[in-house]
Amino acid sequence: MISRFSAEIATATLTAGLGLAAVVGALEFGIGWGDAGPEPGAFPFYIGLLVVAASLVNLVQATVGREGLRSTFLDHEQAKRVASFFIPMVVFVIVARLLGLYVASALYLTFVMWFQGGYRILVSAASGVAAAVAFYFVLEYAFQVPILKGPLEAALGLY
Amino acid sequence: MLKKTSWMITAAVAVAFSGAAYADWKPTKPVEFVVTSSPGGGTDNFARVVQSIISKHKLMEQPVVVTNKGGGSGAEGFIYTKVAAGDSHKLTFGTNNAYLLPYVAKLAYKPDELTPVAAMALDEFLLWVKADAPYKDAKSYIDAVKAKPDTFKMGGSQSKDTDQTLTSLIQDATGAKFIYVPFQGGGAAGVQLAGGHIDSNTNNPNENAGQWKAGAVTPLCVFSPTRLQEGPKVTATMGWSDIPTCKEAGIPIDQFQMPRTVWLPGGVPSEAVAFYADLMKKVSETPEWKEYIERTSQTNRFLAGEELKTFIASDDAKNRKVFEQEGWIVR
Amino acid sequence: MENFASLMHGFGVALSTYHVALMMVGVLLGILVGVLPGLGAPNGVSLLLPLTFTMDPVAAIILLTSMYWGALFGGSTTSILFNIPGEPSSVATTFDGYPMARQGQATQALTLAFLSAGFGALVGVILITILSSWVAKFALRFSSPEYFAVYFLAFASFIGLGAASPFKTIVSMGLGFAFAAVGMDTVSGGLRLTYGFNELLSGISFLIAVIGLFGIGELIMTMEEGLRFDGIKARVKARDVFKTIGMLPRYWLTLLRSSAIGCWMGITPGGPTAASFMSYGIAKRLSRRKEAFGNGAPEGVVAPETADHAAGSSAILPMLALGVPGSATAAVMMGGLMIWGLNPGPMLFIERPDFVWGLIASMYLGNIVAVLIVLATIPLFASILRIPFAIIGPVIVIVCFIGAYTVAGRPFDLWLALSFGVAGYLFKKLDYPIAPLVLAMVLGDKAEDAFRQSMIMSRGSLSIFWSNGLVATLMVLGLALALGPLLSGTVGKLVRPKPTSAAV
Repeated sequence: MISRFSAEIATATLTAGLGLAAVVGALEFGIGWGDAGPEPGAFPFYIGLLVVAASLVNLVQATVGREGLRSTFLDHEQAKRVASFFIPMVVFVIVARLLGLYVASALYLTFVMWFQGGYRILVSAASGVAAAVAFYFVLEYAFQVPILKGPLEAALGLY
Repeated sequence: MLKKTSWMITAAVAVAFSGAAYADWKPTKPVEFVVTSSPGGGTDNFARVVQSIISKHKLMEQPVVVTNKGGGSGAEGFIYTKVAAGDSHKLTFGTNNAYLLPYVAKLAYKPDELTPVAAMALDEFLLWVKADAPYKDAKSYIDAVKAKPDTFKMGGSQSKDTDQTLTSLIQDATGAKFIYVPFQGGGAAGVQLAGGHIDSNTNNPNENAGQWKAGAVTPLCVFSPTRLQEGPKVTATMGWSDIPTCKEAGIPIDQFQMPRTVWLPGGVPSEAVAFYADLMKKVSETPEWKEYIERTSQTNRFLAGEELKTFIASDDAKNRKVFEQEGWIVR
Repeated sequence: MENFASLMHGFGVALSTYHVALMMVGVLLGILVGVLPGLGAPNGVSLLLPLTFTMDPVAAIILLTSMYWGALFGGSTTSILFNIPGEPSSVATTFDGYPMARQGQATQALTLAFLSAGFGALVGVILITILSSWVAKFALRFSSPEYFAVYFLAFASFIGLGAASPFKTIVSMGLGFAFAAVGMDTVSGGLRLTYGFNELLSGISFLIAVIGLFGIGELIMTMEEGLRFDGIKARVKARDVFKTIGMLPRYWLTLLRSSAIGCWMGITPGGPTAASFMSYGIAKRLSRRKEAFGNGAPEGVVAPETADHAAGSSAILPMLALGVPGSATAAVMMGGLMIWGLNPGPMLFIERPDFVWGLIASMYLGNIVAVLIVLATIPLFASILRIPFAIIGPVIVIVCFIGAYTVAGRPFDLWLALSFGVAGYLFKKLDYPIAPLVLAMVLGDKAEDAFRQSMIMSRGSLSIFWSNGLVATLMVLGLALALGPLLSGTVGKLVRPKPTSAAV
C-alpha cells in the first residue's frame, strides 16, 4: 500500500529533479541579459529555478500537512490492477524495440485478450494477428508510413 | 545562353565521371528519402520535386518513401544517415548544412561520415529592401547603413546559418554594421520585410518572389558572379536578369550560393553512389526539373564525383573562415 | 461585392462531381488520419502530396483541404471517446468532451463537437471571403513583439483557472516550458538541454507528451478504478443526434465568441491549438456555471471546437496571401502550392483567381460535406465503446504507441510516451493540472523566440512592447486577463474564507 503522503513526496522530488536538470543544462549557456536581450540559457534557467522552488513548496506542504495525507494513494487491489496493465505495456515497448511494432502488437493483444480477457487462446491469437495485419495495410500501404520493423518482417521480405 | 552551355558541359563531364562506374547495382527495396527540413521547407520542396520526377518518368523501379527529419536544423536527418552506415537505400537531401552544421553545434556526426552523391542546384541570395525605401541601389543602401551603424535590421532565417554568414560577409566587405534578427524561416523574414519591421533581408529568390511581384519589396543585387537567367518579367519593368550582381553594385562579394545536396550514409558500395548520381543526373535533365529551377530562380548546376568533392571543400573553407572570425565554432 | 462575384465563380469551379467525390475521399481519409494520434493532418497532407503531382492544382488542393477538415474532425472524436486527442488542437476538447462521454452522453458530445466545429469553420471561411485583402494587410502589421503579445494573451486567458494548488500549477506549467526549450534554439542557433543525447536533438514532441499524458495516463487511471469502460453505455439513437442539433442555438453566444477568438488566432499566428485553449478559458471565465466546466459542460465542448476550426480555416488566408503558414498543415500545403507551380503571395489572388476562389468555395462545400459525413459516422464511433475493454484497451495502447512512433519515426519516442503516461497518471491522482503543461509546450518556444527577437530588435529594451498601439493594446488586454482573477481571487478570499477542500 502506498500512502498519498509518499506519492506526493515522490512526485515533488521528481519534479524538483527535472527543474534542477533544466537549471544545470541552462548553465552551459549564458544566463544573463546581454546586449540583445536574454541569453539562450536565461529562460530555461529561471523556469528551472521556478520549478525547483514550487516543488520545494509542495514538499513542505506535504510534510506539514502530513496528517491530512494519511489516505491511501494506491491500495493493494488497485496496485495489482495497475501492475497487471502497466507491466505488459512495458514489455510491449521492449518487444517493439526488439521485434518491431507489428509483432509486438500481435503478441500484446493476444496476451491481454487471453490472459486478462479470458478469451480462448486461439481467438486471442487470431485477433492479435488480424490487428497487426490491419495496421500493416493501413500504415504501410494506405499511408506509406514506415513503422519500426524487426527480424520477422525482414525474413518475410516486407520492408 | 553562354551560362547554359557552360553548365551543360559541366554536366557532360559529370556523366563521364559517374557513368562508367555504375555497373549493376540497383535498389532492391523502397528507397527512403530523408529530408533534413520540416514539411514545406526549401529542402522538402527539393526532395519532393525529385520524388515527383522519378515517379512521373519511372526512373527507378522501387518506390520512394519520403520522411522528414528536420529536427535541430536538419542535424536529426544527418545523424539518422550516419547511424544507417552501409544502407544504400537511404538518400538524404540537404544543403551545405550537411557539412556546416557540425561547426556551430555539438553534434554526433562528422561530415566525412556521409557520402556525397550530387549537388543539383545552387540557390541564389539577393539583397532585398522594402519597395518604398529611398534606396536606388545597393551602394546607397550600404551608405545609409554605414552612416548609422547598429540601427538597420537585417532579417534572415535562423542563426549561424547561410543568411547570417552572408550578413557577416557584407559587414566585412563594406564596413557597414547591421542588427541581425533571426526568424523561423525565409518566408517569415520576407513578410517581416514587406511589413516594414526590418530594413532588409538576404532571401532566396523563391522566398521573396511573391512579395516582389506585389510591389512590397525590391531586390538591390544578387550575390552571384553573373546575373540571373533571363525569364519573364516579374514586375512591370523588371525581371530576374535585370538585377545587377552585387559586385557590379558596389558590394565586393562575388559569390555566395547554397548548393542543394544529396547524400548517402557512409560505407556504401561505390556502385550505389554511382547509381544515385546517375539517377539524379537523369532527374536534372527533365523538363520538370528545369521548370522547378526556373520557378525558384535557382542556378542549375549538376555536380558529382570529384567535382563535387572539390566544390564542397572550397565552400566548406569559405564558410569556415566566417565562422572562425565570428567565433561561432563550438568545440 | 467584387469578392462575392469571384466566390460565385469559384463555386462554378469547385462544384463538379469529380471535385465533390474528391472531397468525400479526402474527408474520409482525413478522419482516419485524425483518429490515429500522432498521425495528424500534416502527415496526412504530406502523404497525399505525391498523388497530387499529376492532378490539376484546384483538384489537388480540394483533396488536401478536405483531408485537413476530416483530420480535424477525427481528432475530436478520439478526444471525446477515449481522452486521446488525435490532433494537437483537440486537446481542449477532452476537458469536457470525455466527461460527457463517461456520463453516457457520447452521442451528444460528438454531435455538439461536429456541429460547432462546422459552424466555426464556416465563420472562418466567410471572413476570408469578405475581408481577404483587409486581413492580409492587417497580418502584415504583426512582428515579433506583436507575436509575443498574442501568445501572452492566449496564455493569460487560460491560466489561473483551476481549483488546483497554485504551486502545483506552477510546477506543471514550468515543466511544459522546460520541455518546449529542449532542442535547437532558433535565435542562438545552438542546441539546448539535450545533454548530449541525439534523441533530444529535435526536442520533445508535443504530440508525444499529449499521447502519454492523456491517452496512456487515462488508461492507467481506468484500470486502477477497475472501470473497464463499462461506465460508458453508449446507446446510439438517431433521435439523440437530432435532439442535440436542436440544442445548438442555445449556445449562440459561445459559438459567436469562440468563432471570433478562432478567427483572430488564425490570422495572427497563434494557431488552432492556442485558439482552442483560449476559447475554452474565456468561456469558463464568463460562464455562470464555472464549476460545471471540466465535468461535462456542453459549452466546454462547443467553445474549443468552434475556435479550433475557425482558426484552422482562417489560417489558410495568411498562407495564400502572404506565404506565411499559420499551422503545420498549412506549411505542407504551401509546399504543395510551390510544386504545382503557384507562388503564394499577394499576387496569387490576382494571377490565379480560379485557383484561389475555387479553393475558398471548396472550403464551404468541403466543410458541409465533412459535417454530414462525420455525423453519419457517430453511431460507428460510439459503438466502439461497446467493445469489451479486454479488447479495446490493448488496441488503444497499440494505437497510442504506433501513433507515438509515427510522429517522427523515433524508437526513443516510445519510451518517452510511456514516461509521460506515468507522469499523467501521477499528476491526475495528485491533482496537478495537466492543461498548463500542454499549453506551455505549445506556446513556450514560440513565445520565447518572439520575445528574444523583439529584444534583438530593440537592443534589449522592453519598451518595444508598448511601442505602438497594436502591441500595447494586446499587452494591456493580456495583463488584465492574467491579473484579473488573481486580484478578484484574493479579494474574494479575504471577504469569505473558503472551506478547505476535502482531498479528492
